[in-house]
Amino acid sequence: MTTEMNVLLIEDEPQIRRFVRAALEAEGSRVFEAENGQRGLIEAGTRKPDLLIVDLGLPDMDGVDLIRDFRSWSEAPVLILSARSDEQDKIDALDAGADDYLTKPFGVGELAARVRALQRRRMKGQEASPRLAFGGVEVDFSRRTVHRDGEPVHLTPIEYRLLSVLAANGGKVMTHRSLMREVWGPNHGESGHYLRIYMSHLRQKLEADPAQPAHFLTETGVGYRFQP
Amino acid sequence: MVASPQRNPATAYLWAAAACLLTAGLATPLRPFLDLVNIVMLFLLTVFLVARWLGRGPAVMASFLSVVLFDVLFVPPRFSLAVSDVQYLVTFAVMLAVGLVTAALTAGLQRQAEVAREQERQAQGLYELARELAGAAGREQLEEALGNYLKGMGIQAELHLIDEAGNLPFLATAALPQRLALMAVVQGDAVEMDDPGDLSRLVLPLKGPMRVRGVMVVSAQDPANLARERQRLGTVASLVALTVERLHYVDVAQESQIEITAERLRSSVLSALSHDLRTPLTALVGMADSLALTREGTTEATRSTAAALRDQARAMGNLLGNLLDMARLQAGKVQLRREWQLFEDVISASLNLLKPTLADRPIRVALPPDLPLVEFDAVLLERVVCNLLENAAKYSPPGSPIDIRAFVEGDRAGVSVCDQGKGFPPGQAERVFGMFERGQAESATPGVGLGLAIAKAIIEAHGGTIAAADRPEGGACVSFRLPLGTPPAIEAEPADLQEDDKP
Repeated sequence: MTTEMNVLLIEDEPQIRRFVRAALEAEGSRVFEAENGQRGLIEAGTRKPDLLIVDLGLPDMDGVDLIRDFRSWSEAPVLILSARSDEQDKIDALDAGADDYLTKPFGVGELAARVRALQRRRMKGQEASPRLAFGGVEVDFSRRTVHRDGEPVHLTPIEYRLLSVLAANGGKVMTHRSLMREVWGPNHGESGHYLRIYMSHLRQKLEADPAQPAHFLTETGVGYRFQP
Repeated sequence: MVASPQRNPATAYLWAAAACLLTAGLATPLRPFLDLVNIVMLFLLTVFLVARWLGRGPAVMASFLSVVLFDVLFVPPRFSLAVSDVQYLVTFAVMLAVGLVTAALTAGLQRQAEVAREQERQAQGLYELARELAGAAGREQLEEALGNYLKGMGIQAELHLIDEAGNLPFLATAALPQRLALMAVVQGDAVEMDDPGDLSRLVLPLKGPMRVRGVMVVSAQDPANLARERQRLGTVASLVALTVERLHYVDVAQESQIEITAERLRSSVLSALSHDLRTPLTALVGMADSLALTREGTTEATRSTAAALRDQARAMGNLLGNLLDMARLQAGKVQLRREWQLFEDVISASLNLLKPTLADRPIRVALPPDLPLVEFDAVLLERVVCNLLENAAKYSPPGSPIDIRAFVEGDRAGVSVCDQGKGFPPGQAERVFGMFERGQAESATPGVGLGLAIAKAIIEAHGGTIAAADRPEGGACVSFRLPLGTPPAIEAEPADLQEDDKP
């Protein structure tokens, strides 16, 4: 994480750009700014950023289109900034390829934490590990075993598949639709209640306090996030 | 155009007599050159023309006069009514008969033409009325067109329309005729009224294609007028009813158009407001937070001031969220995004969201195993749970525990949030759901009392109930309950990891 990261910030509000820039620079990143979507796409093409931060409420273009455009040629993580009431916008942006979101207003601490998580994900993306450990749980994907506090845990095939998909996307917000598609297949995009039930099972089996989970987090109205 | 003979019958008869005399005068010099039979023809032509132009009476008279003139002036012995040859009696008889039949037929035709012309005139009038009514843009124009049309018949009309509530306001003022009007409407038929005054009246229902729209009361000085025009008035009433119905639907369409525009305006104002207020707040929170975290060149006092600034701005953000939500809910146009889901998701997400606020609180969550799926809008329900938790934290001593419990009760499932504070002031438990209502008036505890009002609005939008009560052991409890409904079935899966999809 000592390598310097290039961040492109697309945000029309100068005051928000100012503190986001300060916070990112304090984290050791190099920050480029764009005040609208058109400018942002040009900057993205020339700077090839390692992280894109984009406000969904841009004046000149739909942030979702911008993300789709960016995603068509870059694998770099995308963090969106949005208002609380726009759940559908968040879902659309996540389905278009965004990795995470921050709801306005947000603190510098949250911002830094999200950026660090995305950076970690990017680093780890290169070397796929067959092992995963979090909160007393150990998963060995090569041997398909799950242990909690040293005791083997029995997962059903669907529970295991759900855990694998979440683990492969650790730290990233997964929309209900994309989780349904990956675990149950493309024809089950609409029956979201299965996902809720199985997520509840995973929490019961793997969380220390299922009512206040530390790893299998709910993103209300949007989806779930696995926090290793 | 041939109206004058009818109006002056005496003149018509004089004209008929003159025509006969003229024929006789013209024929006399021709007597040596023409057969008597042909002279008869001249007289028959005269009778025909008289019938054509002057009508039936003068034609009958002309028939008789022609026979007499023919007899006296042309049949030997001349200048006498006597007849030398008996066969002339046959001529007279035939001449008279042909004259009378011609008179009758011609005059009949004439009358038919007259009736046809009158009908055409009426049809033309109705057509013009229909055209004017079709163009009428409001009740005034409708009444003006109707008044103009009926004036020609010496008839006045009043319209009484059924209002939104289904009442006929006219019934309230008119004492005697009200039952008749009602009958007309109910039967869908015209009803005559015996008026105590001089006017005779007729009540006609205004039957539109969809339903009866009201009544048309027509009155005239001359009762015969109404009787004669009754059928035509029925047609007029149908035209008026069509127009009234058309105008009604124009109104309805306009109203819904206005409503749509107002709704669009309201939501665009709300989202613009939301964006315009949230943007500076975001900058404020972010900048205060950066300052609070800056180590270099700041004192402890500066940093704590910045942190307080950040927290206040955040609180303002929450308040803004609540206000905007309340505005949306009050507009009554919130679209619930209902999905079948579990309370535990909403409870855990709310606790996660409020981590900073609840940091010093032991939170005890009681979730019974196998809680059913409930259909609700997760984002709105999260707002409810957050508001209840914030409320509990606000009105109970720091460090005291907060209990959250999910439960099923008959055909409802609910969540309750309880604290160990002082509870609600006596008799106030229900009032706390009012807007801007707070348990302790003007207390030092921050907040404007919007939280519970929003919770109530959201829960009621879901068809649920919310109630506040004190716990017997002390502390306040707010619980909401949502209808269970019929959750979708969940198919079980074979519960073995090792058997299925092994690598």
